[in-house]
Order: sequence, then C-alpha cells, then structure tokens
Amino acid sequence: MDVQLKRGLLEVGVLAVIRNEPSYGYRIIKDMEPYVSLSESTLYTILKRLEDTKMLRVKTVEHNSRLRKYYHITKEGMDKIEEFKEYWADIKALAKLIIGEEAI
Amino acid sequence: MTKDKFLEELRLKLKGLPKDDLEDRIAFYSEMIDDRMEEGLSEGEALKEIGTSDEVAAKVIEKTPLTKIIKEKVKPKRALKALEIILLVLGFPLWFPVLIVFLVFILVCMISLWSVVITLWAVEGGLIVGAFNGVISALGLLFEGEYLNALAHLGLGALSAGLAIFLFFGCWAANKYTFKLTQKITFKIKKLIVGKE
Repeated sequence: MDVQLKRGLLEVGVLAVIRNEPSYGYRIIKDMEPYVSLSESTLYTILKRLEDTKMLRVKTVEHNSRLRKYYHITKEGMDKIEEFKEYWADIKALAKLIIGEEAI
Repeated sequence: MTKDKFLEELRLKLKGLPKDDLEDRIAFYSEMIDDRMEEGLSEGEALKEIGTSDEVAAKVIEKTPLTKIIKEKVKPKRALKALEIILLVLGFPLWFPVLIVFLVFILVCMISLWSVVITLWAVEGGLIVGAFNGVISALGLLFEGEYLNALAHLGLGALSAGLAIFLFFGCWAANKYTFKLTQKITFKIKKLIVGKE
C-alpha cells in the first residue's frame, strides 16, 4: 500500500484505540490486532509522531514496580478523528472508482 | 537470550542515534517485553515475538532519516576545549575540503548510478520520436511519389517502435533496480554510521 496513505490511516487508528481511555503500548498493539498487525517499531514511530503533533500526551505511571507509559488523547487528537470522518466520504467515493461498486 | 542481553545488544547496535531517542526506544522495548511477560509469556517467548536485536535495529535505522543520523554524528559528545576549537579553525582548510570531497563522492556515485537509467530513458525517448518520425516522413514521401523511399522510412519507423517497446521493459526494470539499490546503499551508509562509534 502507498506508504503515506497507510501511515495516515494507522495514525488515526491508534488515536481511535485510545479514544475512550488511555492505553499503553502493548495493549494498543493487542487492540489493533483484529484489524491490522503492527510491529513495535512501527507503533513507536506512530506514537512519536502523534506526540510531536500534540495529538496525544504521554504520562509515565508506576506499574508493578516498573514504569509504564500511558498515552492520552488530546483535543487535537479527537479533532483529527472527526476530520478523518469527513475525509472518509471522499475516500469511499474514490475507492468505488478504483475498485468498483463492491468497495467497502 | 535474556531481556537484559537483548536490550544491551540493541543499545550497541543503535549507539549512533541521539541519546534521548536511544533511551526512549530502549525503555519502549523494555516495557513491551515486560508487558508480554505479565500476560504469561516466558522471557524467551516474549523476545521471540519482538524479534532479534538485528531485526529491530535494522527497522529502526531504516525509519530514521539519514540527516538526523549525520547530525548526531557530527555533534561533539562534550564541550570542546579551547585548544580543540583553535585546531578546528586552523585546520579548516584541511578538514573542510576532505568533508566536501566525501560528500561529493557519495553524490557522484549516486549520479553515475542514475545516469545509466537516465541514458536508457533518453534512448527510449529517441526511439519513440524515431518511430513517429519514420511514419510521418513515409507519408510525406508517399505523396511525393517516392514509394520505395517511403517504404524504407516506414520500415525504420516500425523498427524504432519495436525497439522502443522492447527497451521500455528494460528501462522500467533498470529504474526499479536502481531505486532499490539507492535505498540499499542509503541503508548501508546509515547502518555504518549508527552501528560504529
């Protein structure tokens, strides 16, 4: 798949997974597993970019006498999901053009 | 293989990354392994799921831009002493040309690699023009009543068209291969800089 397109989709996917409650790395991978299998290095890159663009905030919490990072979605992150929903109509129309009526 | 050994290996293989970046990644993988073990996996199973330190390091290097790696490399690891600064300034006429030569060398390698591809595409373009030219001049000669000449031009046009189609696949393959080779070379350069100090 086109790298740019996939990257963008995965970013919104990760945001969607932490939309309802903050989550940590391994659980994000687990939660996304039914939809897409994500490697650690890919997730790391996505999380970094989402943090740099202020879509999420990181809070380090002590857990079982070690540290665990929890990722919290921000307002910008929520906006990004809403923005994606708007784009979705366009994407769907294009997918029909490319694949045909059976798309999605 | 233990978790500590894995992280130690990974740290060594990614030594050239910016320090904060490196520590952040090590902490990330450490957490990932711990979380798997908390789920009931053994240390070995958890590490198997993560992959070998070689695989992980390769992926990290692949995703780190070359500019970031070089920037980290040229950054002094500690504050420079006055003498070093003086030497650096005085040595400028010496080290600067060497640096330029090195950068130009890489650039020239890339250009010579791609020039083959560009040449192939230029020949392809020439053949396409030749094909059209052959047909058009054949039509002109036909109107002037020079049938034999017209036939010869048409034949040349057809030959050009045939060669153009044939060469297109070659051009395409060369293009793809060179692109992959460029990526590979970039990766090797990155690995060379990140891995060794």
